[in-house]
Amino acid sequence: MTSDVIKEAVAKQQSGDRKLVADNSVLGKVMTFNIGEQVYGIEIQYVVEIIGMQRITKVPHVPDYIKGIINVRSKVVPVIDIRTRFGKPEIPVTSHTCIITLSFNETSVGIIVDNVANVEDIHSSDISATPENKNVNTNAFIQYMIRSDSNSEQTKLILDVAKLLDEQEA
Amino acid sequence: MAKIEPGMEAMLDMYFFETNSLLEQLDEILLRTEQANAFDSEDIKEIFRIMHTIKGSSAMMGFDNLSVLAHKAEDMFFVIRENPELITDVSFVYDLVFQVSDSYKAQIEAIQNNVGGEYELSNFDELIEKLKNAKEKLSGEANGEAPAPAATPAASAESAPSGNKGNNKTSVRVFFEDGCQMENLRAFLLINTIREECSFLEFYPADVETNPETSKEIIEHGFLITFSAEDNQDYILKQIETALNVQSYEVLAAPSEAPVAEAPKAEIPPEPAKEAVEKVEEKQPAPAPAPTESAVEKAQAAVANVAAQGGSQKQSLISVNLAKLDALNDIVGEIITTESMVISNPDLEGLELESFSKAARDLKKLTGELQDTVMSIRMVPLSGVFQKMNRIVRDMRKKLGKDVEFVMEGEDTEVDKSIVDSLQDPLMHLVRNCMDHGIEENVNDRTANGKPAKGTVKLTAQNSSGEVIITVSDDGAGIDPEKVLAKARRQGVLTKPESEYTVKEIQNLILLPGFSTNEQVTEFSGRGVGMDVVKSNVEKCNGTIVVDSKKGAGTTFIIKIPLTLAIIDGMEISVGDIVFTVPISTIRESFKVEPEQILRDTDGNEMIMLRGICYPILRMHEKFGIETEVTDLKEGILLLVETDNKSMCIFADKLIGEQQVVVKPFPKYLARYDIKGEGLSGCTIMGDGSISLIIDTNTLIG
Repeated sequence: MTSDVIKEAVAKQQSGDRKLVADNSVLGKVMTFNIGEQVYGIEIQYVVEIIGMQRITKVPHVPDYIKGIINVRSKVVPVIDIRTRFGKPEIPVTSHTCIITLSFNETSVGIIVDNVANVEDIHSSDISATPENKNVNTNAFIQYMIRSDSNSEQTKLILDVAKLLDEQEA
Repeated sequence: MAKIEPGMEAMLDMYFFETNSLLEQLDEILLRTEQANAFDSEDIKEIFRIMHTIKGSSAMMGFDNLSVLAHKAEDMFFVIRENPELITDVSFVYDLVFQVSDSYKAQIEAIQNNVGGEYELSNFDELIEKLKNAKEKLSGEANGEAPAPAATPAASAESAPSGNKGNNKTSVRVFFEDGCQMENLRAFLLINTIREECSFLEFYPADVETNPETSKEIIEHGFLITFSAEDNQDYILKQIETALNVQSYEVLAAPSEAPVAEAPKAEIPPEPAKEAVEKVEEKQPAPAPAPTESAVEKAQAAVANVAAQGGSQKQSLISVNLAKLDALNDIVGEIITTESMVISNPDLEGLELESFSKAARDLKKLTGELQDTVMSIRMVPLSGVFQKMNRIVRDMRKKLGKDVEFVMEGEDTEVDKSIVDSLQDPLMHLVRNCMDHGIEENVNDRTANGKPAKGTVKLTAQNSSGEVIITVSDDGAGIDPEKVLAKARRQGVLTKPESEYTVKEIQNLILLPGFSTNEQVTEFSGRGVGMDVVKSNVEKCNGTIVVDSKKGAGTTFIIKIPLTLAIIDGMEISVGDIVFTVPISTIRESFKVEPEQILRDTDGNEMIMLRGICYPILRMHEKFGIETEVTDLKEGILLLVETDNKSMCIFADKLIGEQQVVVKPFPKYLARYDIKGEGLSGCTIMGDGSISLIIDTNTLIG
């Protein structure tokens, strides 16, 4: 439900319809997290839970970014390293490193992030479509952006969970 | 047409279950009697009863077409039942009834797939017409041969002696089972069943057919039926007693006008004008095979294969939603995992815990029993699937004009319900293949090879050491390796030089997708889609399939499926920091090796000679790209594993121990990567919460 509202907002924003901007309603919530310096977000309805880093059992013959499988209360969940997925160098695990487990269409995966930042509202006025730039690969996983007015806060890139989980071999 | 109301879905489920079971039962009876070429009077009654139940429940659910169809079929069998001497040549009856049964199955499937929507019966009119003709033909014969005054079947049934001609009337008050819903329709149905028998019939409330409000009235005061006492009362009362969902009935005498001169039956009370004289409880035993159970119970009886017994014994069966059993199974799996987490908890290490160990042993015993029981709940015999194959053979025998005998062995073998479901399609394809490709077109081809003119298709099942082995074989032409190889060459599916293929490997090429050597596409096979469906379905339940064929002598397909999918005894081995689980059933031995036992072939592959047999060695760390310090063969350990007569040694760092593990499939997300093809069948959660990968010995060796 939420995602529909947001999609609509993004579409409107793209088409230059500024009417929506004025009312500035709250469309949903995102959970934000850091990977390196960049802030990313995931719409809250996809997030199942946040767990600390744990031992990951490697699985042979899968791409690099799939780190392996973990046991989350007797469920076997595959783990993706977002860093590797976005082509960033791996960094050692710190005490802030977390696994966020996501669920989409009954598929569960965990993603490794540097640290979990916050849960915040999505204001319709802040939504911004991603620039159409075919050369930037990682944009494939970004659904839209949330701008920030203050200089202290960064623009957040909201991940497209469906693409992240359902993508076919690229 | 009929709209399915919301709230009826539970009933609809029951209706589907019941009707499908009855149809299966019908098929079984038909096949059996057709083989014997004789209708037993018991069989006819049974078929009659099945049709009757289907008619009743279909009408109740508002599927008028289905009800009418069953009614016509019932009519036909009525004639047969009344004139058993007719059944000398009734092969057309079989064809017809099979068609009816097929039509039902198709229809029910359609309704199931489109719950709440409209439905159409495709060849309905045609079938009705055929049934009508058949009935007329039969009753025509009946009249010819037996010149009794029985002009119509209905009349012939009315053999009851009429009593006095007075206007005696008998009233019956019928109560339906609590909460059976739509009492008015049930009442209407009841009226329909007995109408033919009654010369006079009144009922109250009178507008049951059209007015659903009457349900309330019926629930509170019962449904009042008044019929003339000179009618065949026994028969009518029996009908009422055995009608669907009738809880009880009482016979009231209402003759204030005329005295009961001749109380026709014992049921009629001596004191007239008094209500509630005799109450006949539904559970009262009735002579077999009168159906006293509710239709649902009957259906269950059919499932349990105790159909023919019919009768009055109480059923101790219930039907359970499979999803609930799955959930139960999962919980048991987790209990077992948790149990080993508790019992081999690291906190307990080094402690002397006499009482704890005893309690732990008891717990282990109980969880073992729990697991066995849950497994056994899910076990169902294969006979249902086998019967369906029998049916397929029968149909194809007629269509292809091949004289084939169908032999079944071990249909009592029990396997997990999910396996039975996924086996149906593969077996169907295989049996069709045997009939179509296997058995020779020309009988002379058979006799020339010294084989009997009559072909044989054989379906067997047996349990053997934790596996169920199912074979489908024919004594037909066999697979010609030359043809297969030529075809494979054309399709470009060969992966190595032709000369390197063994006959067995060539034969197993036919299991590849899109492979069919049949030049002509027939109704039954030849499109080459069947065999890979077979293979993938079998593999879905962790099974294997191999082909064994001898040109000119026949073909055998051997399917091996592990009996229980979920829990296996495994040996934990470690390689680097990864733990693998090897199914104990595939391990022959494990041993330390001396360097001088190692041989190398020209490619540098390591082999080991054991008791005169040479086995290849597979280094797990190399195969799965794992970093480990143990790379010297004499520091680690070798396990000799064997499946399907193929064996090899796998090299691991060390053995950890034996454990019962719950097999979990790899997460859905990983399904796109070919992990299974690399020799891993799944994973399991170990006592300490970490994950171990389960080795699929078969693909690892292959």
